[in-house]
Amino acid sequence: MHAEDLDRSYTALCQALERVGEGKAPLLLAMVSLALIARQASAEDVLPLIAQAAASIGEGPTPE
Amino acid sequence: MDMAGGSHMLPVVIVGGGPVGLTLAALLGQQGIPATVIEADEGYCTGSRAICISRRSLEILGWAGIDRPVLDKGLGWTEGRSFYGTREVLRFRMPSEPGDRFPPMVNIQQYYVEQHAHEAALRAGATVEWSTRLVGLHRHADHVEVEIQGAGGPPRPLRAAWVVACDGGRSTVRDLLDLRLEGVQYDGRYVIVDIEQETTRPVERLAWFDPPSNPGSTILMHRQPDNVWRIDYQLRDDEDPEEAVRPEQVLPRVRSHLEMIGETAPWKPLWISVYNAKCLTLGGYRHGRVLFAGDAAHLVPIFGVRGLNSGLDDAGNLAWKLARVLDGRAGEDLLDSYSEERLAAARENIAYGAKSTEFMAPPSFAFRLMRDAALRLALEDAAVRSLINPRQSVPVRYPAAPGLGADPDAARLGAAAAPGLPAPDAPIASTEGHKHLSELFGRGFVLLRFGTSEIPFPPAPDGVTVLTLLPPGASPCPGCPADVEGQARQRYGALSGAAWLIRPDGYVLARWAEPDPSAVAAVLERHLGTAAHTLLRETA
Repeated sequence: MHAEDLDRSYTALCQALERVGEGKAPLLLAMVSLALIARQASAEDVLPLIAQAAASIGEGPTPE
Repeated sequence: MDMAGGSHMLPVVIVGGGPVGLTLAALLGQQGIPATVIEADEGYCTGSRAICISRRSLEILGWAGIDRPVLDKGLGWTEGRSFYGTREVLRFRMPSEPGDRFPPMVNIQQYYVEQHAHEAALRAGATVEWSTRLVGLHRHADHVEVEIQGAGGPPRPLRAAWVVACDGGRSTVRDLLDLRLEGVQYDGRYVIVDIEQETTRPVERLAWFDPPSNPGSTILMHRQPDNVWRIDYQLRDDEDPEEAVRPEQVLPRVRSHLEMIGETAPWKPLWISVYNAKCLTLGGYRHGRVLFAGDAAHLVPIFGVRGLNSGLDDAGNLAWKLARVLDGRAGEDLLDSYSEERLAAARENIAYGAKSTEFMAPPSFAFRLMRDAALRLALEDAAVRSLINPRQSVPVRYPAAPGLGADPDAARLGAAAAPGLPAPDAPIASTEGHKHLSELFGRGFVLLRFGTSEIPFPPAPDGVTVLTLLPPGASPCPGCPADVEGQARQRYGALSGAAWLIRPDGYVLARWAEPDPSAVAAVLERHLGTAAHTLLRETA
């Protein structure tokens, strides 16, 4: 994806999160993730991304 | 100084002797217009303030003859690195090639730029009055009456054909005309600290998100001349900005960060200030005979260094237009194009600045959550790293000038140097030795032709310099420099015989695959408008 399109999509997602509010943000992110997952060719494209994100959160520095 | 009742009319009064006002005075002087600058402060600014000068700004300073001293004193740079915690998540490189006239960015304290611009303005015939405030302003159909007051003196009236407000974010001119900036002001605050410390690090932009030295904060560092570091760090939302700039608050955070990155030489603080991001602009920059430039016209966030750089572009856009309106070579409508073009630029700068701010100082939980996600992913996943790029200032494309017509040969000449874009620079060999194309811009119009031998073009329209750019290896002659390694041909997408009409501010006005003099003259006439009779030549 071109950097400008990535940037546009990123900002649109931020703004959608603001509109639904912090309480419903996880639901919105889960729905967008699932919609994107469903558009991948196979689980092989998706599983490493899930594993990597989980490992990063478990092993990386904690924000705040 | 003449009184308002007298017949003497100043051509231009510039309110504000900061870097934009002084550069504008120098550029107007180059165009033969002696400007009068009034500045409320007694001299150059204190504190380094705007420190990143873009390549485009250096070109503009070059028209005033001060690119060399700024470049000699300044620290050029091309790259930047961003860290999440202590791990690198982005390394960016701005476009730069061997043989370029300038590096993409040069760091220098604002007071040095002001000093060079001031000296250039005086050399070019301007008058600069320090410690002088604007206290009144009255607009008339054919002139503006301003009232000024020096330190301890009584108010004095002046008459000017045109007034340019370059008096900054708290513009007095704006207040006197009851004009308001519109847009968004962000809550997030940054402390700006200059310290003096010797270092051997390369000159680059450094950014840390959530560093162990200042958990949760974002820190920026830039090197400046004279062994000075600029350090910017983000305050927490619950911190009182007045409290936060006290040295006992600032110095421990700076010390902690210097220790983290291993800068152990002795250091001392020089200047501390606080900043919050604003995306504000006037709705138009021409109000009768009063024009606005720089921070008086628009305020953009510091991230991306679009503040002073866009102000210098305002000055570059305005100087040649104002000079031509003043001496009757152009109609007043040309100044409406100043407002249209620079307002479009401000809106683009604001859009980029807002995006940078949303990343550097997230304004809500949503931007913070997504920012943290992007940084965390960027540790492993290169695909998201472009989101961290600070979107450094680049020249803005201007909207098509009304009435200028289509770009008839667009299909043959490509997108690279289309009308509304800055004319690309390239090294050239001239009879005076090695130069760059951009050194030929800045005064009058240039018709740049590409040919294998000098192409006669009689008669050259009034005020246009015709140049033929010969192929690499050809011997240059007066009026026909040679492309050094073919960069110009490549950057313009030039066919042999094609021509570019370049404005005095280095922007492409029009281009033709096979130009004829009447087409060039017609474009110029439409762009400059109908010259009004001005009273200035008679009264000056």
